Amino acid sequence: MSTDYAYDEEGFLWPFFVFTLTLIITIPLTFLLIKRSRDPAASFPRIQTSFKHDHTDTVDTLRKQERRKDRKLWLFFAVIAGWAVMGYMLYLIQTTEAPTHKLWNPYDILNIPETATEKQIKSTYKKLSLRLHPDKAKPDPSKNETIEDLTARYVEISKAYQALTDEEIRNNYIQYGNPDGKQGYSINIALPKVIVSDGNGKYVVLLYSVLFGVLLPYLVGSWWYGTLRRSKEGVLMESANRIFREYKDTIDEGGVITALSTGKEYEELFKGDKADSGLSKVESRIFAEGELSPLAGGLSVKDKEKLEDLDSGPRRKVLALLWAYLGRIELDDAELNKAKFAVAPIAHSLNKAFNAISLAYMNTGPLLASYYTSQLLIQALPPKSSPLLQLPYFTPAVVKAVEGDSRIHTSVQSFMDRPDTKRRSLVVGKNLLSEEQYREAVSVAKQLPFLRVAKAYFKVTGERFIVPSSLVTLVVKGRFVPPGSEKVPDIDPNDLEDVDPAEDDLDAISGRKTQKLVGKDEKTGKPIYESAETEHIAAPLAAAPYFARDHSPRWHVFLTDSKQGRVAVPPFTFAQFDRPIFAADGRTPTFAMQTLKAQFQAPPQAGHYTFVMHVVCDSYVGFDTKMEVTLIVEEASKAAAMAADDEISEPDEDSIAGIMHAAKGGQPKKRKPAKEDDSDSDEESGTDDEDDDTSATNTDTEPEN
Amino acid sequence: MFDIDWRGLLLPLAYLVVLVGTFMTFSTVYRKRKAVESANLAPWFGPHLQRNIYLSILHMEPEEGSEKAPKVPDSVIRAALLRRAVEDIHRIIQIRTAKQACSTLLQRGSVGDDLWQRFQRAEKEMEEELRDVVMEANALVPGWGQIIFQSANEIAANKVLRDRLEEIEQQTERDKEWWEKRRATIKNEFMKELDEEAGDKAQSKTSTNSVAGSEDEPVLVGTDTPSATPSGASKKKSKK
Repeated sequence: MSTDYAYDEEGFLWPFFVFTLTLIITIPLTFLLIKRSRDPAASFPRIQTSFKHDHTDTVDTLRKQERRKDRKLWLFFAVIAGWAVMGYMLYLIQTTEAPTHKLWNPYDILNIPETATEKQIKSTYKKLSLRLHPDKAKPDPSKNETIEDLTARYVEISKAYQALTDEEIRNNYIQYGNPDGKQGYSINIALPKVIVSDGNGKYVVLLYSVLFGVLLPYLVGSWWYGTLRRSKEGVLMESANRIFREYKDTIDEGGVITALSTGKEYEELFKGDKADSGLSKVESRIFAEGELSPLAGGLSVKDKEKLEDLDSGPRRKVLALLWAYLGRIELDDAELNKAKFAVAPIAHSLNKAFNAISLAYMNTGPLLASYYTSQLLIQALPPKSSPLLQLPYFTPAVVKAVEGDSRIHTSVQSFMDRPDTKRRSLVVGKNLLSEEQYREAVSVAKQLPFLRVAKAYFKVTGERFIVPSSLVTLVVKGRFVPPGSEKVPDIDPNDLEDVDPAEDDLDAISGRKTQKLVGKDEKTGKPIYESAETEHIAAPLAAAPYFARDHSPRWHVFLTDSKQGRVAVPPFTFAQFDRPIFAADGRTPTFAMQTLKAQFQAPPQAGHYTFVMHVVCDSYVGFDTKMEVTLIVEEASKAAAMAADDEISEPDEDSIAGIMHAAKGGQPKKRKPAKEDDSDSDEESGTDDEDDDTSATNTDTEPEN
Repeated sequence: MFDIDWRGLLLPLAYLVVLVGTFMTFSTVYRKRKAVESANLAPWFGPHLQRNIYLSILHMEPEEGSEKAPKVPDSVIRAALLRRAVEDIHRIIQIRTAKQACSTLLQRGSVGDDLWQRFQRAEKEMEEELRDVVMEANALVPGWGQIIFQSANEIAANKVLRDRLEEIEQQTERDKEWWEKRRATIKNEFMKELDEEAGDKAQSKTSTNSVAGSEDEPVLVGTDTPSATPSGASKKKSKK
């Protein structure tokens, strides 16, 4: 009965150990590698266009470079090495013979079936002992037998016989699998013998100390300092600090651009003598007279002063290049042009930090300026320029032909709303657009996802009134109506309602599934909902031919207090929607009603609160919606009194509220038989209490535009 | 009594020495670095020009040749102090508005720790500065310390307002010019329309023909120009 730990001398165990260990490490790494090598943008729909500008190649190379940056070479090699090790271990497992331990089986030794009776066992034993007793049998020289072999064989046979007949020995056999009682067992450690053999010990110790003394502190340290180095928005902490210093309450888009040029991230682009080269050329270009704006770079006089106040150096060059990018200015120098397209995505990522900072201040102006700057950077437009420049082939000359001397810019929507012949006569002509270019521009415009808000209202789930401090949901209903869409169907009033899930539908309440409108109940006219798997449909990647990244557009919904100029409810961001935006061909709009929901806490006092709701798209200029919404918060006592009068709101007996009601001594309401008929199918259960679920009291406001 | 095997203890002792030594070097180096870093933090505000002016007026060095420093009139000193207070007001406002935002951003991890340190130092400096100004004011005119910041506040608010007004007024010239131009073009267009209307009646038949012709025309232009127009545009750009 000894317990001894043996190292794996035969080498049949440690391959299993190593194989398992490598498997645990390699599988996630492989998954990571596959996920990385797939282009994340490929899964997004795109806006179909064949538009190419002079520098499309430059922009494309920058995009590719960015994708390559994501790929890590060490990951690739680690995965290869992992699979190679696993393959070798499998080979070892296949080829190494494991020492086999045969089970001791008395029936086999006596050569009888396991169903043999005691009588048969006895007779077999007698026959065998007659033949094989060491006194009787002679060693067979041809089989190389000795007298000891014979004795051993006979002992085995008698042991087997006893195991089957003797009570005690039989017990031993049943309990321990051996007639002699408990056997000693050995535990093998799945490590090769080599690492404990003499002389190798010091290498093992060295390996250990390198692993735990050097590698572990290094990994922990690099992780910790890595988290310190970058802010939550993923920009360098130093840049975030600098941008914070640049924040002002009265900042506009030009000011944000100036603030974004402080980033430390640009320093990688302009090292050494690159810091100043070409600066004077860029500046002379952006300060030249522009076609649409006094300065070609589209910057205001104030922004120009700010630029000239800077010391020449990387920061000044960055700012000049940013203005050159926004003004779409040709710099006649491959390197400068490339730098021009390279600074914009960095500025866009820094804008996230500015956005977070302006949110901390809760002022409307800077927050909007931050979103507008994002639009400008993606579309390469200077502040206060015409949104029409977003369309392909639209040059300042074309915009001038459309807008004339007017100071109010024509938005893409209003341009596209004009009849085809009229807009064609405006923009097609000599030095303007050719017929083909015009068609391309119109086709792109008809694919831009413009979210037209149909209705916005407040509600509290399952309540008729909004009482102070309750959790209010802002429901925004809108459809994606690309500019210039024809035959836009009328809004189905059923789509505008937001029906609460039934009380017993826990999945829907917790948001695990959404409901899909399937049709209308013929008798009652109530909409029928069917629970459906949540679909996540992203809008097509922003049509941004100058922006050297793929960007998936987002919509931000937030409420502001117009009197104080402060943000009342911070932005909720929507990048994915639950209904398809475009049909399968990618360009026919479905006009499906989208629902955006944002939850926040109602004010603690009752009253009428008027907010300005902003729906801002971060990728397209002039696609924002701004409208007034009124939140009516009722006195809690008044709402309770109204609820008491209301027969419907008395809780059902099988709901939690009903149990609470019963506990208070009230008589729970019986379900009406008519309702039972209604709710015999689970799919319809959402429609039961439609009347009291839809909060009808809140002010619905139609959009201004 | 005890037979201590010193040689056998050597190894554990050396281990301890190395361990403790490493920790101590690490901690001293780390602390020193931190101290240097916080000492080298850039100040939140730039140089305080108004304070420097005030102090240099107050402590005028005697000019070469003369023994006594030139006498500065009291009114000038008081004005300089008031200017200094106005600048302080600007800085206080900046600090007060930034404090809430800065602390929330620090909690969220959106800005770094050193920014917060710089901020707190600026706050402390401002407190000192305010106390100093009040004392100076009381020394100049007894009781002025209580009201100097009220007047400074009003001056500051007035300046902000006037700056904005000036900014708006600067635009009037340009707007006027633009409106004149715009009015002229609108007038021209109206006149043209009137002329056309008069002409239309005479040529109503020919105009229908020209409309029919114009529908074909753009298509013809379209096949001709696509290669010509973009290059023309780029040429125009490159000439700039």
